[in-house]
Amino acid sequence: MSLQSSMPDFKEEIRRRLAPLELTPAREAEITEELSQHLEEEYEHALSTGATAAEANGAVLKELNSTDLFAREFQGGERRDGKDRDVLGLWRRRSAWADILQDLRFAFRTLGNNPGFAIVAVLALALGIGANSAIFSVVNTLLLRPLPYKNAQQLVMIWENAAHLGFSKNTPSPANFLDWQKQNTVFEDMAAFAERSFNLTAAGQPERLDGRRVSANLFSLLGMKPIVGRDFVPQDDQPGTKVALLNETLWKGRFGGDPDVVGRAIMLNGESYTVVGVMPGSVRLPAFGNWRDQVWVPLAFSSAEAADRGDHFLQVIGRMKPGVTLDKAQAEMETIAARLAQEYPKYNTRIGAVVRPLHEEIVGNMKPALLVLSGAVAFVLLIACANVANLLLARAAVRQKEIALRLALGADRLRLTKQLLVESVMLSLLGGIAGLALAYAGLQLLARFIPQDIAQPGLIGINANVLIFTFAVAIVTGLVFGLVPATQASRFNLSDTLKEGGRGSGAGGPGKRLRRVLVITEVAVSFVLLIGAGLLINSFMHLRNLNPGFRVDHLLVMNVDLAEVKYPDNARRTAFFDEVVRRVRVLPGVHSVAVAGNLPLTYNGDSMSIAVEGIPDPPPDQWPDVIYRAVGPGYFSTMGIPLVRGRDFNDEDKMDSTLTVVVSERTADHYWPSENPIGKRLKPGSSTSATPWRTVIGVVKDVRQNDFIAEPKMQMYFSYRQLTNLVPNALVVRTTVEPLSVAASVRNAIWAVDKDQPVSNIDSMEHVVATALARERFSMLLLAIFAGIALVLAAVGIYGVMSYSVAQQTQEIGIRIALGAKRSDVLKMTVAQGLKLVGIGLACGLAIAIVLTRVMATLLFGISATDPVTFLSITLVLLAVALLASYIPASRATKVDPMMALRAQ
Amino acid sequence: MRDRELKKGSAELLVLSLLEHRPRHGYEIGQLIELRSHGALRFNVASLYPLLYRLEKRGWIRGRWIEKAGQRRRRFYRLTPAGRRMLAQQREGWLKFVEAIGRVAAIEYA
Repeated sequence: MSLQSSMPDFKEEIRRRLAPLELTPAREAEITEELSQHLEEEYEHALSTGATAAEANGAVLKELNSTDLFAREFQGGERRDGKDRDVLGLWRRRSAWADILQDLRFAFRTLGNNPGFAIVAVLALALGIGANSAIFSVVNTLLLRPLPYKNAQQLVMIWENAAHLGFSKNTPSPANFLDWQKQNTVFEDMAAFAERSFNLTAAGQPERLDGRRVSANLFSLLGMKPIVGRDFVPQDDQPGTKVALLNETLWKGRFGGDPDVVGRAIMLNGESYTVVGVMPGSVRLPAFGNWRDQVWVPLAFSSAEAADRGDHFLQVIGRMKPGVTLDKAQAEMETIAARLAQEYPKYNTRIGAVVRPLHEEIVGNMKPALLVLSGAVAFVLLIACANVANLLLARAAVRQKEIALRLALGADRLRLTKQLLVESVMLSLLGGIAGLALAYAGLQLLARFIPQDIAQPGLIGINANVLIFTFAVAIVTGLVFGLVPATQASRFNLSDTLKEGGRGSGAGGPGKRLRRVLVITEVAVSFVLLIGAGLLINSFMHLRNLNPGFRVDHLLVMNVDLAEVKYPDNARRTAFFDEVVRRVRVLPGVHSVAVAGNLPLTYNGDSMSIAVEGIPDPPPDQWPDVIYRAVGPGYFSTMGIPLVRGRDFNDEDKMDSTLTVVVSERTADHYWPSENPIGKRLKPGSSTSATPWRTVIGVVKDVRQNDFIAEPKMQMYFSYRQLTNLVPNALVVRTTVEPLSVAASVRNAIWAVDKDQPVSNIDSMEHVVATALARERFSMLLLAIFAGIALVLAAVGIYGVMSYSVAQQTQEIGIRIALGAKRSDVLKMTVAQGLKLVGIGLACGLAIAIVLTRVMATLLFGISATDPVTFLSITLVLLAVALLASYIPASRATKVDPMMALRAQ
Repeated sequence: MRDRELKKGSAELLVLSLLEHRPRHGYEIGQLIELRSHGALRFNVASLYPLLYRLEKRGWIRGRWIEKAGQRRRRFYRLTPAGRRMLAQQREGWLKFVEAIGRVAAIEYA
């Protein structure tokens, strides 16, 4: 089967005949190549029709000799107008600009000749640059962006440490805060604030506002200045001073951005406040849940409040003096706390102090997720670069011959390098532009999924630093590997390279090894990413399947915050809610309705210690903490919280009847593990406190009240009708139709009772639960996107290397088939080559994943960081993709026509 | 001798026609001319390629080296827009010429 060996070399014959024309070397080489091909085909054709080699050779040469016109014909076409076509890489005296223009034209042509390569390379770059910039912009905004305050690194939050009660960061009491403020020497200034909601009943619809009481010095401490009017001044911080600052967003939304709002009186909770100024919308304070800062009033402690050490409701912020470190501040605060513990043992025993950077407090528990995402960004960038490198290396091997030829023809190496450079830069730029578009589009998409309590979507823009960074990395990769052909060509013996013709298994030794290493890296890294994403998705599924303790579907919820001034006592509140319930109950689509206080998953507070009759009070530092809620009759049946024993609250539970309480299963198990809790009595505080005992009338299932993910803590419920100081603030409606479809009629029913009553946060419980998982969903989504990109890039990488390797082995495959190898064997052999690389990659990835996923442990719920199901399924997914990526080029290999394959070159 | 003159006049038309619908390489062009003329017309290397280069120089056709997996690198020629116009012109000219010859030589078609 050695057709090859007897093929005469026609090139010499042709060159000899062309010699008198004195063509440029490149032109001569080109013509020689084209003509010799033609002659070789005629030669083979002659052989195939039965001629002997000698006959065929004679026939072909006769054709060449049959005409004396040879030189003349060519001369006419080639030399008449003197000048010849430009030969790239040939040294000429030209301007640099003309060179660059020419290079650009050439680069376009070369890329156009191989659109597959160009598209894949640009796509890999675009994914690497674009997706990374978009997601990293989010991460950067949330994790790395400095707070909008001057010298924000000096700002800290200071908490009481009551770790022995399970609160390592407890909200300080006013008296403790005032002592901290007076006694410390490490803070320039210290301020406190507390959440407070307001009913705004100026003109238009009544509206509920999230606001805070703040120390008068808070904004000056933060370094924020009002955009209109003035800041609070110390004199404002007196009880009875009714002044308010508005947030820019409220000012623009509700007051039309009218600067004359300063000095105007607004009604907040039924009292008149004078607006003194407007603060910029960029103010960000740590909040529990979805608290928006819309309006601020002075903290203005009453003398009773200022002396209170038992009521812990403040958040305290401090600005450390220049040069003071976190450790030093922490040490001094601990000293002060210890002194206060000695002075006020009743309240402060074992109460310490904790100083935490403000920034950490605000991004808080997003940190591990964001770190994992940053890691993912680095990984995807790595894969993208490996891919580009891979593609360019494969291409370099293909072009080795071309480059060698040009050098042989006398091309200037510098000029050649410049030209390769232009080509790589153009490729990188195209990728960069596509990446920019992708980043922009990706960010728009991501913005929809960003949990609102972390950042307003509008605040996140494409981060220029990130964009420049990824762009630079991608371009440098492109440049480094784009220049490989030039350096490689210089290493090889030119004539060998030309003779070899880029064929055979020995081609591109070091480049080949490097490419394989790159594929192994890609597989390993994408395996790690996929494992990470798989774990998060798995964990999220567990979360979604958690039983919240109530029926989530067909439940409409809303906040109905009563103004203290208008509804100062229990009787008026009860009358209002009774009338609302009576009207709502009969609305079409409503099954039942109940009054509620602080809906599950929307509030992270309200807990107290209790005393239980017959059980001695524990020592002061061991009081268990019980979450409490004030609810109305029918609450449990409406919420779908199963009653385990006893009864629900009803209309007969009034102020003057027996005081009642419903406890959760966990509470019952804790205090009466082997007894029937019904009829037992408990009360808030200690057994010696003046509050009356309350009788347990029912036991209900545990509800995920404050935190969806953590195990439920002990809980108890009071009927709001039997409380003087706890006001319910919500309504829950069990519907027979889609919950939000009855929202308007419920609201109108409330307004029919009181037209000034704000109704806010109208929502379906399903959405509330979804929101509670927003952070988890967001992390999962981002990592899943990364993993998807990684998978695509890895597949492209494997595919690229395999197709290249198949193309290189075309001749070998042809020989095998000609010698009788079955096509299925060829397929197996080729796929096996690919899978070998993938196998090594998987093994490396597995080792890395086992180490790295431990970092994620805190993000996972219900599964371990080495969950075998996840590991196994991801392995299978990656194997399947790898199989496909190597199968396609392999199946192409089996279609090789042995004759064609042998003829090639 | 006459044969060659005739070919020379029509050769451009032949090549342009063959490239009308898709790009082809030189060997293929040569083969097709021989095949479709049932062997009556045949170009050898020394006349075909100079013709192709000439047409390319005039901007009527354009040659490009193209590599395909498993095949040798070949130079494919395709028609440029100018070539397309030229093809139409030459076709028309050729028809008129044949008609005129027919009238003069009193060749009648059955």
